[in-house]
Amino acid sequence: MEAQRRANWRTRVGDWFDERFDVRIPLEAFLKKPVPKHAIRWYFCLGGITFALFAIQGITGILLSLYYRPTPEQAYESILFIMNNVRFGWLIRSIHSWSASLMIAFCVAHMLRVFITGAYKRPRELNWVAGVMLLLLTLAFGFTGYLLPWDQKALWGSTVGSEILGVVPLIGDALLGLLRGGPDITGLTLTRFYGIHMLVLPALIFLFLGFHFVIIRRQGISGPL
Amino acid sequence: MNESGRTAGEGPLDEPVSRRGFLRYAVLGFAGLATAVGVLTPIIAYLWPPKQTGTAAGGKVNVASTADLPPGEGQVYSVNNKPVIVINTPDGYKALSATCTHLGCIVYWDGQKQVIACPCHAAFFNTNGDVISGPPPSPLPDYRVQVEGDQIYVEGGQG
Repeated sequence: MEAQRRANWRTRVGDWFDERFDVRIPLEAFLKKPVPKHAIRWYFCLGGITFALFAIQGITGILLSLYYRPTPEQAYESILFIMNNVRFGWLIRSIHSWSASLMIAFCVAHMLRVFITGAYKRPRELNWVAGVMLLLLTLAFGFTGYLLPWDQKALWGSTVGSEILGVVPLIGDALLGLLRGGPDITGLTLTRFYGIHMLVLPALIFLFLGFHFVIIRRQGISGPL
Repeated sequence: MNESGRTAGEGPLDEPVSRRGFLRYAVLGFAGLATAVGVLTPIIAYLWPPKQTGTAAGGKVNVASTADLPPGEGQVYSVNNKPVIVINTPDGYKALSATCTHLGCIVYWDGQKQVIACPCHAAFFNTNGDVISGPPPSPLPDYRVQVEGDQIYVEGGQG
């Protein structure tokens, strides 16, 4: 009786949902999985760090979108405005820029850990595939985001980077045109990259992240070496 | 109510807090609070409307040259981030706030009728800013206008 009265608000909220959706047991099985002893090592944190950096990218990216203007006339101006006029704008943009590089580095480090510990082997092949997709999406984020400041480095970096598509036999020019929105890098490329960076890639990465996380919980972390 | 006079359901508050437990709560609580403040302060400051680039508040602003505004013409300019309508009238240049006193639409100069008109609710003002017809409750406030050489300057307005 006393114990029942002492049931705190969290239990009561949980009861409310459990009564309606019957979720307590499946959720607890999913969320309360103990981490095996051999996995309590710093190099088992690399994937989590990558995800933390992704969360930082999401938050700082949303903040940057409030002041950034994706037109050839105003893009660079708006970057200067963020850096010089917006309070802590320099901080938010610098965090976004540095976390972008770090996210790729940690993504690759995580991949190496999975490779060296053999965690990609049966039955985890599909999660390796999802992980490779996540790496490619991260690289695509980096590539499209690189153009957005619209300075000389961005323009020539994207020129050289997208030129690679042009050497594909037969359809190279068509692919290049599709990526750039024309034969050259123009305002059309800028809005194209902006749309991909802000809408297409986030939707895709959430899809693969969800898959990656559900599968790792379902299968558990791979055994010790 | 239970024996100790407290209402039931208070959970941990009913149990005495040990010295170690108190220190733990204090250190963790302070660390959490410091982190939250450290993260939220820049974000809130970032969201706060930044100062626009441009001239200092209330300064004198060069809006146009006299060649841009022949007699009987009027034009809306941005003066310290406020819209100001400048008109070349027979009595000289006039500068008035271009924000309609009714609901804040931006007025324009109707060259044919030689009046200031508001596009939203068909209000008309004369070149002194007085209401000729329509719903505005008060005249358009005026700005000081100066001509130096062939350049027109408008003074006032907030940044």
